Amino acid sequence: MANFNIDAKAQQTFDAIVIGSGVSGGWAAKEFTGKGLATLVLERGRDVRHLKDYPTTNMYPYQFAHRGALTQEIKTENPVASRCYAFREDAMHFFVKDKEHPYVQEKPFDWIRGYQVGGKSLLWARQTQRWSDFDFEGPLRDDFAVDWPIRYKDLEHWYSYVERFAGISGNKDGLAELPDGEFLPGYPLNAVEDHFKKTLSGKYSGRKLISARCAHLSQPQDIHLQQGRGQCQNRVLCQRGCPFGGYFSSNSSTLPWAEKTGKLTLKPDSVVESIIYDEQKGRATGVRVIDAKTKKTTEYFANVIFVNAAALNTNLILLNSVSSRFPEGLGNDSGVLGKYVAFHNYSARVYAEFDGLRQFKTDGRNPAGGGYIPRFRNLHKHEMDFKRGYAAGFSAYRGFEPDMSGIGATLKKNINEKNLGPWRVNSHMMGETIPKESNYVRLSKDKKDDWGIPQLQIAVAYDDNDAKMKADYLEQLSDMFAEAGFSNIRKDESSQAPGLDIHEMGGARMGLDPKTSVLNKWNQMHACKNVFVTDGACMTSTSTQNPSLTYMAMTARAVDYAVAEMKKRNI
Amino acid sequence: MGLLRLGERGLQSASNNLNFVYCQANRPAYAQANYIMKRRTAIQQILILAGGVVLLPSCLQSSGKASIALSHLDMTLDQEQLLAEVTETILPKTDTPGAKDLKLHLYVMKMVDDCHPEEERKSFLQGLKNLDAYCTDAYGMNFSGLTPIDRERALLAISNKTQELPEGLNEFYQIVKNRSIDGYLNSEYVMKNLVVWELVPGRYNGYFPVKTAKING
Repeated sequence: MANFNIDAKAQQTFDAIVIGSGVSGGWAAKEFTGKGLATLVLERGRDVRHLKDYPTTNMYPYQFAHRGALTQEIKTENPVASRCYAFREDAMHFFVKDKEHPYVQEKPFDWIRGYQVGGKSLLWARQTQRWSDFDFEGPLRDDFAVDWPIRYKDLEHWYSYVERFAGISGNKDGLAELPDGEFLPGYPLNAVEDHFKKTLSGKYSGRKLISARCAHLSQPQDIHLQQGRGQCQNRVLCQRGCPFGGYFSSNSSTLPWAEKTGKLTLKPDSVVESIIYDEQKGRATGVRVIDAKTKKTTEYFANVIFVNAAALNTNLILLNSVSSRFPEGLGNDSGVLGKYVAFHNYSARVYAEFDGLRQFKTDGRNPAGGGYIPRFRNLHKHEMDFKRGYAAGFSAYRGFEPDMSGIGATLKKNINEKNLGPWRVNSHMMGETIPKESNYVRLSKDKKDDWGIPQLQIAVAYDDNDAKMKADYLEQLSDMFAEAGFSNIRKDESSQAPGLDIHEMGGARMGLDPKTSVLNKWNQMHACKNVFVTDGACMTSTSTQNPSLTYMAMTARAVDYAVAEMKKRNI
Repeated sequence: MGLLRLGERGLQSASNNLNFVYCQANRPAYAQANYIMKRRTAIQQILILAGGVVLLPSCLQSSGKASIALSHLDMTLDQEQLLAEVTETILPKTDTPGAKDLKLHLYVMKMVDDCHPEEERKSFLQGLKNLDAYCTDAYGMNFSGLTPIDRERALLAISNKTQELPEGLNEFYQIVKNRSIDGYLNSEYVMKNLVVWELVPGRYNGYFPVKTAKING
């Protein structure tokens, strides 16, 4: 019996444990296994194998019973999930349904989740813009949150490292606020996007439009072919999973790569209840896992633990990992765990039309989605009546707009005419929000989920700074549209709740001072050195750029550091 | 008998489900693949294909109910046939297939049943019920008794609200017209032959020259 227990414990012991298999967990798995460590990846959702588990990937619109639309029943049952643009008939099987995993909205918050192997990396919008020191120096310069313990130079090498493997398309634009990377050829702007670009450079100083940089293989290199991935075929049906591996996901890239080393153990349906802290050893020794289906509890052990459960779920696990040493949650000596949660303000859009350039239209589809306007407000110095600023997406499109008037043979002829409409243009805001103590998540005192784990209670809201910035975005973009000769300019002040941006960040922030932060400059817990957090929970501030690329770079850097520390026997 | 849900798994799994429903075969899905292929002909006899999607037939056909299974709409076979005539008037057969060829009325029924809010379902049904009475009142004959020209005329009058209409009739027409066009443009026939939709474009050109300067809008 004693031997049996020893054997069982040996089978449950690894060099490294990674909690979560999304964009950052996949990278942790690849890096640890690449360095020869036996690595356990725990995923709370079901397994999703590349190619095999993309059931809708090759379906035509007419093969969907509702041509892609959601039924009333699904909308009624999923008020939160159905607000996400990608939650449609073709991809809804990759989203958490509201009833399956309830949470408490102390304030309205649309928490969009993907519980499966690959997580939201299957579903992301694939925008990959580097951060710069305009972002990392933001809190110090503008006096909010705490100073980032890292600067651009700390990540620069790691950005290049992950970009080469993931495959990022873009142009060398030479902008200090959006550093260039290791790019595959960028997707070109179209006729009207170029027109808008010229308008900006001619009539404004410091406002630019560039091709959005994205994680698509515009021209695969050997390293991508070795992953079994091929050139992006411009389907732009990415949320279904890509049969070509044309965009980066854990499923198509990092996880199969890790698997090839023979060092990976991937356990789906494994809900992490907490991280086990050993008071005598003064370190975390493993994790407590509840089987999603049988609800049986198992413990797994390792020398180092990476928490990559997605920003808010990482907070949940840490808050639920209590011991006499850490009664308020693992590593929470500072009391800031769960606090200073922030997000991106995506609540404004501007639409218009353009009567010019009718000699052109678009043909095929652009996986980059169009253009990107880097932040121009408060960039070099704080000069507005709000802090920080916003980036903006910009795209133009011209397609068939059938004449649907009339009836009978005339109507039928008209809708088959392939009439082109005018160019339609749109922009969306991507605003930096200020992390605040009053924007927090905590464990519900009375509500639990089906696995007996406290539900997450979320209190995150916009503030005055967000409102002022949003007003400025709407005014500035409308002016820029007018300067470009666009007509019928419409401001859309969406009332969407925070969360729908799907860029929630913070709660276990990095910082120089253990009294005011949870993690050090290596994404390592100040107070529990063998636990690292490299997903959105680690973020000290939000910048305006999409964060996933930065999570990838931080993860690769943190694993490199952790393995070096393990070799030195420091952890 | 419930509605088949195809959203998540596609046609192959739909066959699996059907196989389960009809044959009660208790084998793993993989082992069933060949078996299903052999049975395809038989299965097709009990399926209704509407624009590329398999709809489950109603179990109550003999009792005069609609031919496909519906969750909310209580429709008779007569009403279904009337709806088919309305869709055919909106998008008639010409040198290319029309609404009845493409079974657009079944698509309209499926969408109204599943995707429209209750109020719109009510208007749809109310309008459908009032259509014949309106036509008899205004043209002396029920809808199906009218000539194709008069059918168009009647529907245009309903669309333009040129006179006072019975309850739900205008709403009914707008729903049927929009869903017929939607079903038509998204049908396998149109997407493969007329306004082609590409699954794998493999290209992007932001300066594609437009030859004809035909502008709408």
